[in-house]
This record gives sequence, structure tokens and C-alpha cells, in this order.
Amino acid sequence: MSTPGDLQNSPAERQHLAGQRAQHAEQRAARRRNRLEKRYRRLLALYPRDHRREHAEEMVDVLLAVAATDIAGPAGANLGGSARGLRPAAAAQRLSRDVADAADLLAGAARIHGRMVLARIGPRWFTRLVRDTRWSDALAVLSVITPVLLLVAALADFGIPQAVANAAAGHPYSRIAATYEVSDLPLLVGAPLVTVLACLRLRRLAGMAALATGIGQLAVGVPGSALAFRGYSSPAVAFTVLLAGAAAAALLLSPGPARGLDLLTWWGAALVTLGALILGGFSVGTSAWFGYTSAPPPDLTSPSINSLSGEVAGLPADLLIAGVLVSVGVACLRTPVSRRVLALLAIPVIPYAVMWQEKLAVDLLGPLNGTTAVIHSSVPLLYLPPLLLAFLIVAGTQLARWRATGHERAEGRGGQMGPASSPPGPPGAVSA
Amino acid sequence: MQEPTFLILTALAAGAQHGYGIMSDVSRISDGRVRLRAGTLYAALDRLKADGLVTSDKEEVVDGRLRRYYRITDEGAQQLAVEVERLRANAAVAATRLGLAGGTA
Repeated sequence: MSTPGDLQNSPAERQHLAGQRAQHAEQRAARRRNRLEKRYRRLLALYPRDHRREHAEEMVDVLLAVAATDIAGPAGANLGGSARGLRPAAAAQRLSRDVADAADLLAGAARIHGRMVLARIGPRWFTRLVRDTRWSDALAVLSVITPVLLLVAALADFGIPQAVANAAAGHPYSRIAATYEVSDLPLLVGAPLVTVLACLRLRRLAGMAALATGIGQLAVGVPGSALAFRGYSSPAVAFTVLLAGAAAAALLLSPGPARGLDLLTWWGAALVTLGALILGGFSVGTSAWFGYTSAPPPDLTSPSINSLSGEVAGLPADLLIAGVLVSVGVACLRTPVSRRVLALLAIPVIPYAVMWQEKLAVDLLGPLNGTTAVIHSSVPLLYLPPLLLAFLIVAGTQLARWRATGHERAEGRGGQMGPASSPPGPPGAVSA
Repeated sequence: MQEPTFLILTALAAGAQHGYGIMSDVSRISDGRVRLRAGTLYAALDRLKADGLVTSDKEEVVDGRLRRYYRITDEGAQQLAVEVERLRANAAVAATRLGLAGGTA
């Protein structure tokens, strides 16, 4: 029907052929439209039911409208003319657009589902707390720091750099070959997943992954559920659980790593990573990063905190850890946002400090026999202070907000704000 | 405030629009740099509605299909104004430091 002999035909014939061609093109477009609509509806089925009922029709409409303008091309709706031009390049373009649209719809569905879940589980005060930009900025910074810490904790805990270094040096010992238990899975899988998702700026997915890591870490301790669980009274377990929880809160409730990185700067992020590597390396043993040059100590097959301290560089390492912790603390005292970062960061760091003082006691006084002057880690010691701190943060900001809105109401117009009221204005303050 | 949110609110600041209108307006406002897709747009609208910054307006039936319009709320306009002020202040500082504009007169 579109032979090169077109031009030799009479005008009437030409008109007829053109009409036929247009008709074919129209049919083709209609078929494609139907196909697309079916595909879009399949994807829209993944949206929450309420959202679907409200918006599915208009979304299909919008998607088809966009697809139609794309088919017609920038020149307009001259389908008959451009149909012949739909050759490989155009087809490839269309395919890539279809894939991008599908991915975008999936991401949108995930976002709306996530928000619905959050709205159900996230109490109102938390949402309001996070409207204070200083707290949301602090959480954003935390959303950069916590995935890094989680990854370093996992790397150090499982001795992955050590295994690599040992393999490179031809040393026989490898913790990877030694043991992985089911109870290692949450951290082993969760930590890299959270980091990768955070790097991809998939904030909510990363937050969900962090939440799953924390819950998974707790779940492996349920009696009989997994082998070789180190127990809730292990500071290392408490540290990873609270760290994963903090990461989840930071990722889900703040503007996310992009904003955090803006505030922290790349230099800051590099410093944090360096600090984390030092802490990780020296808490688990210097060989965690560099591997062994001589025979490994005998008790490494069951690396609990107590046995691990055997080959650590002793007191100097403890002092270095204390030095890093103190200088982080001091550096964080400078601005309102960094003070809030410090307060939030302290939540997971409390069990780490318990771990550190145990190690310090071992290095000073020898192996723990239950008699040495050390604060023994226990579930209340590991979890109560962090929970108390979290409670104080929330209660404190809430109190400050009440006071701020109270002042404002009393003065008619809020001239000066309380310590925790947000620059964009607290939601309740719009009274005119 | 993230850029798509900012642009959606900006598109609605001039008046109520339907989904496709917002999309093409955002593309126009950003000089073609930001092209919202449907999933992103409706996820953003869902959040803006939940936050009370945007609300559904009238509905129309065109060619047998439902077309819903969205409108910016007072709170939305207020937040957009705050954001505009913040961006303007940042831009002024940057321009001054780069020695670009005359800065503050």
C-alpha cells in the first residue's frame, strides 16, 4: 500500500491510498492504545485500593495522553506521515519510555504504600517533630551516617576485609570459611542493602530495609528460631538493632541522604567514614581490616566480644576509640543541627560505649571472670538508656513546641519562638 | 522542599490544573529540564494532599473520561512563599560571593 509507485497514480487514486493509509495508521494507533491501557491498568493494580479507586482512571488518562503525544512526535498528530518513520530508533525510544514509565509507576506505588503504612504506624507527634527543620536536618545527616556505620559494623563483625586480605596474602585463616550462622543473615544482608539503596537515593526503600534489618536481628533471638544467636544482652547485638532502628527513622522521616550530604558535605562524610573505620577496626581487632601476618589467636572461632579483645592492640586502641568518640562529641557541639545529630547518634552509641568499657576493663585488668570491676552488659543497661534518651528527645521537643505556640497565642503574634519551633512555622500557629 | 514538589506547587499557584496540565506546565516552567512521569506526579500529589498543601478541585468528563483538577491551598501557597524566600536569600548570598549581581542595593 505504500509502494514507491505512489506518485504515478491519478489524484483520485492517490487520495484513496492516502485515506487507506490514514485508516491503517489509525487502527494501529488504536490497537497500541488498547495494549498500553491494559499494561497501565495492570501496573496500577499494584496501588493501594483507596488510591486506585480515586485516581486510577485519571492516571490512565494522563499516561495515554503522554503516550499519544510521544507517538505523534513533536511535529504534531500527523500519524499517517510519521507512521513510516517508526523505524528501529523510534521503537527503541518508545521501549525505553515504556520501561521508565513502568518503573516510575512501581516506585510511585511503593511510595504511596509506604506512606500509608507510615501514616498508620507513625504517631502524629513524630510527624510534627520532624516538621521542625532542625530536627529533620539532623535526621537527614543521620540518614547518611547510619548506613555507613551499619556497613562498617557488618564488615568488621564478619571480618570481610580480613578474609580478603588473608586470601590475598595466602594466609590460611578465614572467618568466612569458618562460620556463618542463620542469625548473621539480617546484618549480613541488611547492611549492604541499606547502604546501596541509600546511595541510590531510594530513601524509603532503604528505610524499610533498615527497619527489616533491625526487626530481623531481634527476631533471630526468639527461642529456637536461629542457631548461635549471641543474645540480647550482647552489646554488639544491641548496637546493630538500635543502629538499624535509627537508620530506619532517619531515612523514613527526614528529607533523606541528599539533604544530609548537602549539610554534611563530602568532606564530612569522608571524615565520618574514616572515624567509623577506625572505631570498627579497633573494636573488633586491627586485623579486621588488614588480615593476619602471623598465626591467628586460638580463640577466634567463636568471635564473641570477650574473645575478640584478645588480639586487639590493647590499651592504645581503647584510648584511640575514646579519642574518636570524644572528638566527635566535641565537634558536634557547635551548631543547633549538629547538637541534635549528637543527641540522636547517642541512641545507638550507648551500647557501643558499654562494649568499649568492657574491652577497656579486659585490657586493664585481664579476662573477665565475673569479678572484675566492669559494668556487665545486660538487657536493661543496653536498651533502657537509649529508649529513655529517645523519649526525652521527643518529649523535650513537644514541650518546647507547646510552650512556643502558647507564647504565640498569648502575645497575639509570635515575635520570638521557643527553642524547638520550626522556621517554616508550626502547623498549629496559623491562627491569623 | 524537593524540586518536583516546588514545581508542582508553582504550576498550581497560577490556578487549578488537571494532571496532564500540571505535567506539561512543570516541563515548561523548568525549561524542559524536569519531566514528571505519572507515577512521580501522583505520588507527589498524594503527599501534598495529605499535608494539606494541595486539594482536589472540580471534576470534568472529557471524551467519557474523568478529569480531576487540583488546586493549591492557602497553606500550600504560604509554604511555597517561604520556600521562594529561602531560595532567594540563598541565591543572593551566592551571587554576592561570586561577585555576579550587585547584591543588595
